[in-house]
Amino acid sequence: MKENIIEIERVSFRYKGSAEGLLEDVSLRVKKGELLLLTGASGSGKTTIIRLINGLIPHYYPGELAGSVTVAGRDIRRTELYELAGLVGTVFQNPRSQFFSVDTDGEIVFGPENIGLAPEEILRRKQKVVREMHIEKLLDKSLFALSGGEKQRIACASVSALLPEVILLDEPSSNLDQNAIENLREEIKRWKAQGKTIVISEHRLWYLKDLVDRVLYMDAGVVRREWSGRDFAAMGSDEIRALRLRPLAAPELLAPDCGLACAGKDGCAMTEDLSEPGGGIVLRDFYFSYHRKPYLLRKKRFAENDPMLSLRIARLVLPKQAVVAVIGSNGTGKSTFLKCVCGLVKDCGGSIELDGKIYRGKDRLKLSYLVMQDVNHQLFTDSVEAEVLLSMREKSGARYAAILESLGILAYKDKHPMALSGGQKQRVAIASAIAADARLMLFDEPTSGLDFSHMEKVGALLKSIAAQGNTVLVATHDPELIELCCDYILCIENGKLGYLKKTRPRIGVDGVSA
Amino acid sequence: MKRVRLDPRTKLYMILVVSSIVMMSATTPLLWAVRLAVTAIPLALLVVEKRYASALRFSVLYAVALLLSFRFLSEESTGVFQSLLTGYCGIVVQFMPAFITAWYVVRTTKIGEFMSAMQRMRVPDGIAISLAVVMRFFPTIKEEYAAISDAMRMRGISLGGGSAVKMVEYRMIPLLFSCVNIGDELSAAAITRGLGGKGKRTSVEILRLQVFDWLLIAAFTAAAGFFVVFKYVL
Repeated sequence: MKENIIEIERVSFRYKGSAEGLLEDVSLRVKKGELLLLTGASGSGKTTIIRLINGLIPHYYPGELAGSVTVAGRDIRRTELYELAGLVGTVFQNPRSQFFSVDTDGEIVFGPENIGLAPEEILRRKQKVVREMHIEKLLDKSLFALSGGEKQRIACASVSALLPEVILLDEPSSNLDQNAIENLREEIKRWKAQGKTIVISEHRLWYLKDLVDRVLYMDAGVVRREWSGRDFAAMGSDEIRALRLRPLAAPELLAPDCGLACAGKDGCAMTEDLSEPGGGIVLRDFYFSYHRKPYLLRKKRFAENDPMLSLRIARLVLPKQAVVAVIGSNGTGKSTFLKCVCGLVKDCGGSIELDGKIYRGKDRLKLSYLVMQDVNHQLFTDSVEAEVLLSMREKSGARYAAILESLGILAYKDKHPMALSGGQKQRVAIASAIAADARLMLFDEPTSGLDFSHMEKVGALLKSIAAQGNTVLVATHDPELIELCCDYILCIENGKLGYLKKTRPRIGVDGVSA
Repeated sequence: MKRVRLDPRTKLYMILVVSSIVMMSATTPLLWAVRLAVTAIPLALLVVEKRYASALRFSVLYAVALLLSFRFLSEESTGVFQSLLTGYCGIVVQFMPAFITAWYVVRTTKIGEFMSAMQRMRVPDGIAISLAVVMRFFPTIKEEYAAISDAMRMRGISLGGGSAVKMVEYRMIPLLFSCVNIGDELSAAAITRGLGGKGKRTSVEILRLQVFDWLLIAAFTAAAGFFVVFKYVL
């Protein structure tokens, strides 16, 4: 029998100022070298357990804590956080907000510097970590210039450099594409081979299922079920679905290669579907480059044959009243595409034709609306009501109430948008988009970090928006979302169109074949 | 060519000297010459660091302001436009050198170097960490601000619907919220990696003042001395 390295005994916890308890009498033990997966819905207490082990609870997030938490023989309550630094390392969910330095090298050595190691030892560790993780290419760069996946690799490296015995990962794949998740998987595998004890809180299960030793299923602050890794991996998809978990099977849908069948002059058109009166939405001449330096006064114009283009779309016909998934690896031009289409990138020309009318330049902003990945950026006022009215060209009380009602947020109309949950904020942003009469709704990663139930809600919402006559473009890495609600898939690779194709006939939200 | 890497201490000294000089008004052509010289050095350093675009933008802005205030504007300038222009050019001419220097320092100093320099100068960790976080936040604020501006353009409220107060409010509220959130997550991540411990922090950045550093320190000391002597003593 190996010894327990983490012991959580009968812990109940409630965050300060919160009425509800987040953990109820939870006990769990983790053996040295074990890989434990915590899963379950958002708000079920997974993150709270991670914070108990790394000491952020109670030292950083105060609250009422009952019971005891012991890591490697230390009582967490009596241990200062900096004493835990060389013992417990944590990779957090958001790659943007977990680095302290601006440059990659500085970030890797940051932890060892803090605990006062000798400079030679720090450099030795850095070299070792860099060699093991093959991140030579990322050195000597600004962290702000890296993609989400690359940032997450640096975060792993900086945790590795502290040589902790226990490594915690809190929904580490939320913002990653499939390639980056593969990298993360390799990293976890290596840590496991080194004998580290690993605890992961995660919604996505496919990349972990054959690595984990034990799986705990949490619900409302209680550990409800427990499986061995092998039993868990063998579970049927019906059982997984009944638990409201994301599937175990690796998604084949988002294979990185999309071919460049539509990159040519004629572009892509779903001709067979466009027999409907009015045709589809035609996008023409979207060219843009990040690599060309701006001129001082003259407006930039990009030529089609410019070899440095970050986005090159000669012609694209999108179906109306449909949800179109935009896929492609991180940093391949999905976000650029969305921002260009809705007219946010000033130097990107291009026209949108809808119902015989052609929109160019700023007019594109009136036609379309982008719901950003971080919706906090687009909520400006002090109440939900004001937020929606701000978008309406002709203020109408009845209409705004109808919009809020249809999104199920009428009850919150007097609340401050920032006081709402993430999903509710997203709905407020969508309400503003509907109020602004947007016909083309763009979503940037609307389901990153969401559990199955929330993802399903977003999927249903996208479908209903499309059913009301809008076209929805959604940039996503989430294969389950695509399966659930998307009618077409548009693949982008290096700013060029790969393909636009219809998805397979799918299971509807209500479980009936559509 | 090997890149010239200045010691952060030299850079901080540059900020100190240039800010002191811009606080004293230049009255004679000789003093103006000193002032232009201390402005030219950070501009040249920006070019050395291959930041051509910012060097060019700063030079043009500064040159135009100088030209306008010396050639076309005088104390007799009247009218709203001319007085505004006089004020604007005056501010640019007066404070731009300090701004350029600060920009150069923030853009070219790594956080690790900066922390190391602070330690060498025996600045308490609390102050050093706070200043480092400020440096870390400049690019964050830039990113967040850009995203918020995009969102405002999409809603057609870039101009706040005609109200100046709203224009600022719409920009600041989301910006504050995201900076607070990021700051919170950032500190949690930093303290789990041992920031703020009682032990002494070490640094892998080995700082050494090299010939070029000493030259610059000498040049800036001379400039400051020259300015003070010619303005107040002679």
